[in-house]
Amino acid sequence: MDSENNKEGSALPAQIALYIHIPFCQTKCPYCDFNTYAGIEPLIPSYTKALTTEILHWGALLGRPRVSTIFFGGGTPSYVPGQSIAAFLDAARRAFQVTSDAEVTMEANPGDLFGEGVASLPGLGINRLSIGVQSLDDSLLKVLGRRHSSQEAVEAYGAVRRAGFANVSLDLMYGLPNQSMEQWRDSLERVLSLLPEHLSLYCLTLEEGTPMQQQVRLGETSEPDPDLAADMYLMAEDLLGQAGYGHYEISNWAKPGRESLHNLTYWHNQPYLGVGPGAHSYLGKWRFNNINSPREYIGRFGNFSKAEATVDALSSEVISQVPTVGDVETIEQPMEMAETMMLGLRLSEGMSLDGFASRFGRSLSSVYGEQIRELTSLKLLEQRDGVLYLTEHGHLLGNEVFLRFF
Amino acid sequence: MDIDRIRNFCIIAHIDHGKSTLADRMLELTGTVSARDMMEQVMDQMDLERERGITIKGKAVKMNYHGEDGDYQLNLIDTPGHVDFGYEVSRALAACEGAILVVDATQGIQAQTLANVYLAMEHDMTIIPVLNKIDLAVAQPQRVSQEVQMAFGFKEDEILFVSAKDGTGVSQLLKAIVERVPPPKGVSNPLRALVFDSAYDPYKGVVAYVRLFDGSIGKGSQLLMMSTGSNGDILEVGNFLPKLTPVERLYAGEVGYVATGLKNVRECRVGDTITLTEQPASEALPGYEPLKSMVFAGLYPADGDDYLSLRTALEKLQLNDAALGYEPETSAALGFGFRCGFLGLLHMEIVQERLEREYGLNLLITAPSVAYQVLMDDGTEVVVDSPAKLPPTQRITEMREPLLALSIVAPARFIGTVMELVTARRGEFRRMEYLQGAVSQEEQGNASSDARVLMEYRAPLSEVLMDFYDQLKSRTQGYASMDYSFQGYQSAPLVKLDLLVNNQPVDALSLILHRDKAQQQGKALVEKLRTLIPRQLFEVPLQAAVGSRIIARETIRALRKNVLAKCYGGDITRKRKLLEKQAEGKKRMKRVGNVEIPQEAFLALLKLER
Ligand SMILES: Nc1nc2c(ncn2[C@@H]2O[C@H](COP(=O)(O)OP(=O)(O)OP(=O)(O)O)[C@@H](O)[C@H]2O)c(=O)[nH]1
Ligand code: SF4
Ligand SMILES: [Mg+2]
Repeated sequence: MDSENNKEGSALPAQIALYIHIPFCQTKCPYCDFNTYAGIEPLIPSYTKALTTEILHWGALLGRPRVSTIFFGGGTPSYVPGQSIAAFLDAARRAFQVTSDAEVTMEANPGDLFGEGVASLPGLGINRLSIGVQSLDDSLLKVLGRRHSSQEAVEAYGAVRRAGFANVSLDLMYGLPNQSMEQWRDSLERVLSLLPEHLSLYCLTLEEGTPMQQQVRLGETSEPDPDLAADMYLMAEDLLGQAGYGHYEISNWAKPGRESLHNLTYWHNQPYLGVGPGAHSYLGKWRFNNINSPREYIGRFGNFSKAEATVDALSSEVISQVPTVGDVETIEQPMEMAETMMLGLRLSEGMSLDGFASRFGRSLSSVYGEQIRELTSLKLLEQRDGVLYLTEHGHLLGNEVFLRFF
Repeated sequence: MDIDRIRNFCIIAHIDHGKSTLADRMLELTGTVSARDMMEQVMDQMDLERERGITIKGKAVKMNYHGEDGDYQLNLIDTPGHVDFGYEVSRALAACEGAILVVDATQGIQAQTLANVYLAMEHDMTIIPVLNKIDLAVAQPQRVSQEVQMAFGFKEDEILFVSAKDGTGVSQLLKAIVERVPPPKGVSNPLRALVFDSAYDPYKGVVAYVRLFDGSIGKGSQLLMMSTGSNGDILEVGNFLPKLTPVERLYAGEVGYVATGLKNVRECRVGDTITLTEQPASEALPGYEPLKSMVFAGLYPADGDDYLSLRTALEKLQLNDAALGYEPETSAALGFGFRCGFLGLLHMEIVQERLEREYGLNLLITAPSVAYQVLMDDGTEVVVDSPAKLPPTQRITEMREPLLALSIVAPARFIGTVMELVTARRGEFRRMEYLQGAVSQEEQGNASSDARVLMEYRAPLSEVLMDFYDQLKSRTQGYASMDYSFQGYQSAPLVKLDLLVNNQPVDALSLILHRDKAQQQGKALVEKLRTLIPRQLFEVPLQAAVGSRIIARETIRALRKNVLAKCYGGDITRKRKLLEKQAEGKKRMKRVGNVEIPQEAFLALLKLER
């Protein structure tokens, strides 16, 4: 039955999440391995045109599905002019049925949030901001190569509020070279006093090939101690809990009702479309990504104006024919199950046994019984009222759990 | 070709002195290998040989040489220099009338130069001394020439100077071979061919590499192996050019190969004599001593399901590597595997690599051990080549360990250093001799610190096995060389050291060692293991014990954090790949009790600083 499906393709999704990638940054941070570039600003106008074309192309191809979350990520979306953002949103509304109450998030760097730019954003329809504060300690901001100071971050937050944003998320990083528990507590407390609706706390990962990883390898920067990072995580869990934030995903906390709907799409393993260079998508049975190079991306969509006719069904052929698509990978059911576990168990709502069974037509225990028994005995998983959860202990050892499904 | 026009010779030398490169030049000069096919060390065709730049298996090649007085057939056998494969030298010598002794003119006589020359002398060979690498600025041909004259009694005008790299002196060498190496002697009947090597070919079956002493041989006759009594139908005979190239017949005096029609290499032992069933020879040629494994280690499939594949792979590999021994063994920690015997650590490494590469296996190898003789209280004697199989202490009356005759050549200024190292390894000094080069007779009394010395010791094999050579090299700034041979057994106060992981003894980590070294080694071993075993979901105690006495302990703290923070822009694939990699890593580990132990840990012993 499965292979039949494969041949005929998958039905078009009725609803998707939309991710828009902005590959521009003023400077490149030493720990960052995202697909983003400094010094290619002259490409912004042609990029705006190409990305607009891609959005329209997909909208037509997929038959204008519903979109209830849009996420501008990067790179630094706040770094490009408002007209570009306006053009993307306009295209999105033409290409998709964007719901009137859609969550529209934009990632922003504190330095970009002064002046008129930020005031115009709500008018364009951006209703959620995710600000890369990273730390409120100036020495650590320097280590991270960030351009803003802690003072500027706090002021930017004020400006955002004055501009009328009622849904603001702040990013903080821990497990940094030479970061002490005191520094971490201080950043957390000061961030909490700002009363953001949402907080994402990310442990620094030294990615292969980044300048920071090099420095650590050469001994120029000290390697963060993973046990200390674990202590920092526990401290955050404590402080944020007391402050009334729900710990709804391993790295994310929110005031009730302020969870990131866009990111929940990923964790629920639901379909999404990513546009822009290097963006990732999951539609039907296919995960695919665009080519990374902005220049090449622009080239491929530059002289492509005709909007495609709607297809009857999705298939890897249809996807591969979109000129910017790079790799396409078919996700068969066993893989989809494993990915669903890996993503869903990250959430505090856990993995409901019924939910799993109705999605896959098989019970969770018939597929992963053995793993679940082992993980339960290791006290990494627990089951309550028909739902499987990571234990508190399991939060920090998530990978030990997830890898057993692959 | 007339037997008087044949010359059989091998090239012998210390490792890396340039045997294979010299062979290249001869192949070139005689036009055996065309310029197009020429490459460095062209006869070292095995992947591992090319990667490591060493010869692992001896090789023969036939060359046609246009001498001043007509053509000659030259049969060359290149030998490996590494001490693990030293046995190949005596095999090659037995198949030849002459030997080219290559000495690196930048290094002079080294330990294996001495060993190889003594071997050649025992065989009563014509030896042609050749000093190589004279193209190098640091070469000291005069000094090394004197050294060679003094040490082996060669005359000055006997010594040739060559550069195997640029070809200088190689045509003179070819001329000298024809002049000095005597032609083979042999009668035309009955057939006697010495098997000096063998290989298994999936199409041709067992192929014997032979030196014909008497008679001749061709396709179609039936052969008789004189020691095993096996009969085979000869499918093909031929020469090494260096590729196997069929010919009608091979004649007395020649070197070549015989596709024996035998299915099993064991029926065609190296050292055996081939004759014809119809007209057998009455007496076999002198053979070789059978090879003796020096080092033993357990080989286990990382994935237990691969046990049968491993067995098949070992069977096949053994067809081409008679020095490899194996028998099934079971480990409580590692499951089903094989106890394998090797000639030395290099041989062990090569076998492991070949099994993994050529047979796609993922293997786990335990720390190597030597074979001990154990006398029991009931008067019986058992041989124990695996610490796990050591009988209970109270039943043992005596243990004996294998001993080596160890010779080391080094500049005199390192005498103290070498002495210290060998003594720390329980070595016993035997004698010392100056190898005099440019130093004149009068100066010998107060030999300069530049002079080189040969030091001879007796030392337990187990102490030399692991890192001795590396230590020797590093402590003498690379100047020392060594050679060894098996010398018998010696009684010693040995104990078994057990390693407990999470309170469970892990049989594959046990080792046998001298009583006085248990404390220090046990401590070093648990420290090393602590860095090699990754943190687990719980705390893991590590202990070293002799009997019931714990002599060292360490703790591996529990793993606290292993989670990916961000799923960036929906890049689920990348996240999944990371997890798949972690899962893959786990699969390569061995689960002992609840603890996952990586393969490297089983070799911790090899990595110890002593
Ligand atoms: N400069 C120079 N280098 C040489 C000469 N002969 C050999 N070499 C180099 O010495 C190294 C060892 O040469 P091989 O021919 O592999 O030595 P080998 O004796 O066959 O080595 P094993 O088979 O491992 O014992 C190689 O790097 C050669 O290129 C020479 O005449 N001059
Ligand atoms: S601002 Fe963000 S996306 Fe840009 S380089 Fe820094 S970390 Fe990377
Ligand atoms: Mg060689």
